[in-house]
Amino acid sequence: MALYSFKLAGLSLLREKWINLLSIITLGAGLLITAVTLLSVYNVNIATKKLPEKFSVMLYLRDNLPKEDVEGIITGAKKEYAVEKIKYIPKDEALKELRDTLKDTAYVLEGLGENPLPDSIEIRLKSETVSPETVRKLSDHLKKINGVDEIVYGEKFLSSIYSLRFGVETVGIILVIIMSVGMLFVCYTTVKILFYRREKEIETYKLLGATKSFIRAPFFIEGALIGLSGGLLSLAGVLTLYYLIILKLSVAFPIFHAIVFPVRLSFCLPLAGLSIGITGAAIAIGRIRY
Amino acid sequence: MIRFDEVSKHYDTHTALRKVTFSIEKGEMVFITGPSGSGKSTLLKLIYMAERPDEGNISVSEWDTNTVRESQIPLLRRNIGVVFQDFRLLGNRDIFENVALSLRIRGVEEKELKARVFEALKSVNLRHKTENYPDTLSGGEQQRVAIARAIVSDPMIILADEPTGNVDPDASTGIIRTFKDINAKGATIVIATHNRELFRNTGRRVLKLDFGNYAGEELG
Repeated sequence: MALYSFKLAGLSLLREKWINLLSIITLGAGLLITAVTLLSVYNVNIATKKLPEKFSVMLYLRDNLPKEDVEGIITGAKKEYAVEKIKYIPKDEALKELRDTLKDTAYVLEGLGENPLPDSIEIRLKSETVSPETVRKLSDHLKKINGVDEIVYGEKFLSSIYSLRFGVETVGIILVIIMSVGMLFVCYTTVKILFYRREKEIETYKLLGATKSFIRAPFFIEGALIGLSGGLLSLAGVLTLYYLIILKLSVAFPIFHAIVFPVRLSFCLPLAGLSIGITGAAIAIGRIRY
Repeated sequence: MIRFDEVSKHYDTHTALRKVTFSIEKGEMVFITGPSGSGKSTLLKLIYMAERPDEGNISVSEWDTNTVRESQIPLLRRNIGVVFQDFRLLGNRDIFENVALSLRIRGVEEKELKARVFEALKSVNLRHKTENYPDTLSGGEQQRVAIARAIVSDPMIILADEPTGNVDPDASTGIIRTFKDINAKGATIVIATHNRELFRNTGRRVLKLDFGNYAGEELG
């Protein structure tokens, strides 16, 4: 009987090829937009997750602070949960680093009488704790320690990056929800139309003693096949887009080389299509009284 | 096998059946007659529960309209072969598939299904038209396909609504002979017809309907 249901679904897909094709294309386009959105969120996440590895908070100390006070500051900072590594940079070393950084233009430092740079402490944070909120709290706390003159950590840059991440995630979630509802509706409507177009046939099935599952099964299969086809179509679309970006755009804009395509998306897209197709068909068949 | 007890059926503007009571025993071949609009088709629909009575009770084998659950109706219908007045053949399936549908619904294996479909089509002289589509057949041939579909599953009961409505007298005789053969194998047969020639001299019970009222019975 299951085989016959597949045969009926296949026949219906062929017989109603235009409406089915339209649904597959619509679903494919919807899933493609969803996939591109998810890909954007994924890549922005990866980019922002790499930031904490390079992120540090600089504590500039008051001039001529006694060694015991410096050690006291380091001990106090080490007690903070977010702190991973602390490095004390004496003013002489800071100047040397500056000279090294300036390289050929280091002559601008010539003529300086006294080293103008202060002693400093570089604090590296645990990756998972880097957020504008935690860094601000830590900064406020460290500022209160006697001997700390100034704290610098690129507050605006950090906030911008996290706002961008939050924005992309929020827009992504909203878009995915809207697209999912839209795609469900497409499958729901398609199956409903297919059902009503075969109403007379279904009536005959009923009168001949067909059970509800015998009548419903081909529609579930049809919904599933439409969904799966839409999923595969969107996968083809997203792979084409990805390779176009990598091959063509990245020549002119090397930043596009950094875009990552998660392999699991190759499985997720057809599966998402399949689930949407089956769910849409289930809602449609469940709501029809016959 | 079939029992009507004070059964009434009303539609919006008229009453199709009014307090009808009769019974049909297992293995009987019975005719229901009456003029057009007398309630013959409604009576058959009530037997295969496409319609429900507004009053009274109908029992068909072990099923009873007052107690039967919606989920049991397909099972009841699998025990009844129906020859519909409008045939209800599927235009997008060939004759083989139309007849096979009855068996597919019952989950019959493919090998057995083929043998039974060919046998049923042979009994109505349509074995040579298995690959034809309904719209390429005459009215009489379509009627015979509908009969083949009704008998292919060897049901306990066969209901036929005007089964000779579209065929010539010779073909009518052939169709009645087919029903008699099936009846001889033990099936209960109920034929609704307004054609008195069909049951004349058959020696079978004829139940008469007169515009929704049961008007007694006679022997054909």
